[in-house]
Amino acid sequence: MNGLFLVARREVLVRGRTKGYLISMLISAAAVVVLAFLPKLLGGPDEYKVGVAGTDTAVISQALTSVKPSSPSLTGDAQATVKITEFPDEAAARAAVADGEIDAAVVNGDTLITDGGVSSELSLIIDTAYKQVASSKALAAANLPPDQVSQALASVPDIRQESVGEDAEEAGARQAIASIVVIFLFFMLMYPVMFVAMGVIEEKSSRIVEILLSTLRPWQLLGGKIIGLGILGLINVLVIAAAGLAAASASGVMPDLPPGTISTVVATLGWWMLGYAFFAALAGALGSLVSRQEDSNSTITPLTMLMIACYLVALFTAGTPKSTLAVTLSYVPPFSAMMMPMRSATGSVEWWEQVLSALILAAAVVGALALGARIYRRAVWRMGSRVKLMEALKG
Amino acid sequence: MMEIDGLRKSYGEKVALDGVTFTVGSGEMFGFVGANGAGKTTTMRIAMGVLEPDAGEVRFDGHRLGFADRRRFGYMPEERGLYPKMKIAEQIAYFGELHGLATAKARKSAADWLERLGLADRAGDHVQDLSLGNQQRVQLAVALVHEPEVLILDEPFSGLDPIAVDTMADVLAERNAAGVPVLFSSHQLELVERICDAVGIIADGRMVAVGSVGELRRKEGRRFLKVAVEDAPTGWADALPGKVVGNDDGALLIETDDDQAVLAGAVKAGRVTHFGWQEPTLVEIFREAVA
Ligand SMILES: Nc1ncnc2c1ncn2[C@@H]1O[C@H](COP(=O)(O)OP(=O)(O)O)[C@@H](O)[C@H]1O
Ligand SMILES: [Mg+2]
Repeated sequence: MNGLFLVARREVLVRGRTKGYLISMLISAAAVVVLAFLPKLLGGPDEYKVGVAGTDTAVISQALTSVKPSSPSLTGDAQATVKITEFPDEAAARAAVADGEIDAAVVNGDTLITDGGVSSELSLIIDTAYKQVASSKALAAANLPPDQVSQALASVPDIRQESVGEDAEEAGARQAIASIVVIFLFFMLMYPVMFVAMGVIEEKSSRIVEILLSTLRPWQLLGGKIIGLGILGLINVLVIAAAGLAAASASGVMPDLPPGTISTVVATLGWWMLGYAFFAALAGALGSLVSRQEDSNSTITPLTMLMIACYLVALFTAGTPKSTLAVTLSYVPPFSAMMMPMRSATGSVEWWEQVLSALILAAAVVGALALGARIYRRAVWRMGSRVKLMEALKG
Repeated sequence: MMEIDGLRKSYGEKVALDGVTFTVGSGEMFGFVGANGAGKTTTMRIAMGVLEPDAGEVRFDGHRLGFADRRRFGYMPEERGLYPKMKIAEQIAYFGELHGLATAKARKSAADWLERLGLADRAGDHVQDLSLGNQQRVQLAVALVHEPEVLILDEPFSGLDPIAVDTMADVLAERNAAGVPVLFSSHQLELVERICDAVGIIADGRMVAVGSVGELRRKEGRRFLKVAVEDAPTGWADALPGKVVGNDDGALLIETDDDQAVLAGAVKAGRVTHFGWQEPTLVEIFREAVA
C-alpha cells in the first residue's frame, strides 16, 4: 500500500511541476473562461444606440426606453437597454447611422433608418415602441383623453406563452451545454490517459522498471501511476469546472443556463473518473508492450481511436439525444462515459438511467483494471521488440 | 549467504543458463566474469527477481529468496535506468523510500551519498543533464541509498574513467568491509583480481570455475618458474626436469614439478639474478578456463 502511495506521490510531484502540465491547465482554464464570455461577446450589445430626429422625438424616445424585450435569451442580455440620441435633423441622423455611430434612427416617429437592417431584438423593440406611439396617437385622435389611453395600454399584459413542444431556446442551450460537456470530457480524459501510456513507456524504455520491480509489485507501479496522474487530471478538471462556473456567473450567463446545469457539472466529474479509470488501465497495459518511445504510436493508436470514436459519436448525437443510437450507446462502455453525460446535459434522462449506466461502466472499469494489470504484469519486463498482445494475455 | 542453485533459462532455442550454481558467502566480494553473452546478466536478473528461471532457485540465508528479501538488496542493472527528468537528489531519495526508508531519512541518505560521490552541487539537476559517468554515480547512489544488506551490480565499472573506477572500488570495498556481500560482474579482470575474495567464471551458461583467486590459481592456472641466469650457455636448462615454455626478456619460463632441481641447475650454469614462481594472472586463468 505504501508503495502505491509513493508511486502516486511521485507522479503528482514530478509531473505536476512540469511546465507542460501547468501551461495546459492555464490554457484550458482560459479557454473555458472565454467560452463562458463568448455568447456575450458574440450576442450583440446589451445597449442599443438609437437616434431620433424630426417630429414626435419625445414620445418615441419615451416609448423606446420603456419597452422590455419579452423573452430572455442565452445571449445574456436579459435586459437590453436603449440609449437615445437626439439629432437636429434627418440628414444628421442618417449620417450617424451610416457612420455606425448609432444602430438605427427613428425619424418623424414613423420612419426607421438602418444600415442594412437591425437585429431582430432591436427591430422588435422599435416596432413595439412605434405601434405604442401610433396607437395612442390614433386613440387620441378619436378624442380619448391621453392619460386614459396610456393607462389602458399599460394595463395590457404581455401575451402568455405556452409551448406544446420543448422550449426551443432552452433546447438549443442544452445542446450547446451537452456539446461542451463532451468536448470537455474528451480533452480531460485524453491528457492524463496519454500521460499514463507515456509514463509506462518511459519507465520501460529507460529500463528503470528493472529497479522499480525489485521493490514494487507490478500492480503498485501501474496503480500508483494511474492514481497519481488521475489526481493531477482531477485537479485540472476541478480548476476548469470552477473557472467555467465562476466565469459564467461573472459574465451573467448563469441565469440563462437551463435548470440542472450545476448537477450536470457534478455528474460529469463522476463520469470523468469512471472514464479515466477505464481508459488509463488500457493505456498502461498497451504502454507496457513496447520498450522504445518510437514504438509507442503503434501500440497506443487503437486506444486513441476508441476514445475519438466515443467522442465523435457523443458529439454528433448531442442534437438527437433521444435517438436509438444515443440511448443504446449510453449504456455501452466505454461509449457511456461520454454518451450518458451528454444525454444528461440535454435533460432527457431519468436518474435511474444514469445510475444503471454508471454501474455497468464501473463493472467495465473493474474488468479493464484486471485485464490491464494482467497484461502489464506480463509484458512490462520483456525488453526488446514489441510484445504481442496475445502473448501477454496468455503469459 | 546467497546460494545460486542450478539455474536454467532458455530464450526459445537459445540456452542462456545451463545449471548455474555458486555461492556468495556473507561478507564476500564476489567477481562474476565471463565473455559477452555468457549469462552473467541473466543470472543477476534472476537473482533480483526481474526474470523467472526455467529451473533452479536462489536461496538467501537458507530460505528461498523472496520479494521481501530483495527489497533490502541494492541493484544496479546492466542497462542503467533513471528518470531522465527528475532531480537527482529527489530521485535517489525516492528509491530510498521505495526500499522502506522514512522520507526524512531517505533525503538525508541521498544527500550523504551525493556528497560522498562528489555530486553534492548537482543535487538539483536533472539526470539527463549529467555526463554518463556522473549518471553512473547516481545509479550507484540509487543502489546504496537504503543501506542494502546485499549488493548485486551488473558491470558497475563499465564506462567509468580511472578516477571513478577508484571511487566505485572504494565504495564497494567499504560496504563489503561493513559486512555486505557484493556480487558484481566485470570485464576488468585485473580489478576483479585485486578487489575480490572470490571469483566465478561463466562460459556459455555454465560455471567453469569458482573459488578464491588463490584456489583458482592452484586448480586452474599453470604456474611457471621464472629463472634468469647471467652469462649462461644457451640450452642450459634443457636437461633439467620440466619444460621451457617461454622466454621473458632473457629470463626463462619453466613449467616444472621440481623447483629445487631447477635451482641447482641454474646455480651451476652461472650467476642467478632472478628465481621465483610466476603466478598466473586472472586473465591467464580466465583464458584457460574458457578455452
Ligand atoms: N531477452 C532475451 N531474448 C533472447 N535472448 C536473450 C535475451 N537476453 C539474453 N539473451 C541471450 O542469453 C545469453 C546470455 O545473455 P546475458 O545474460 O545478457 O550475457 P552476459 O550478461 O554475460 O553478457 C546471450 O546469448 C543472449 O543473447
Ligand atoms: Mg551482461
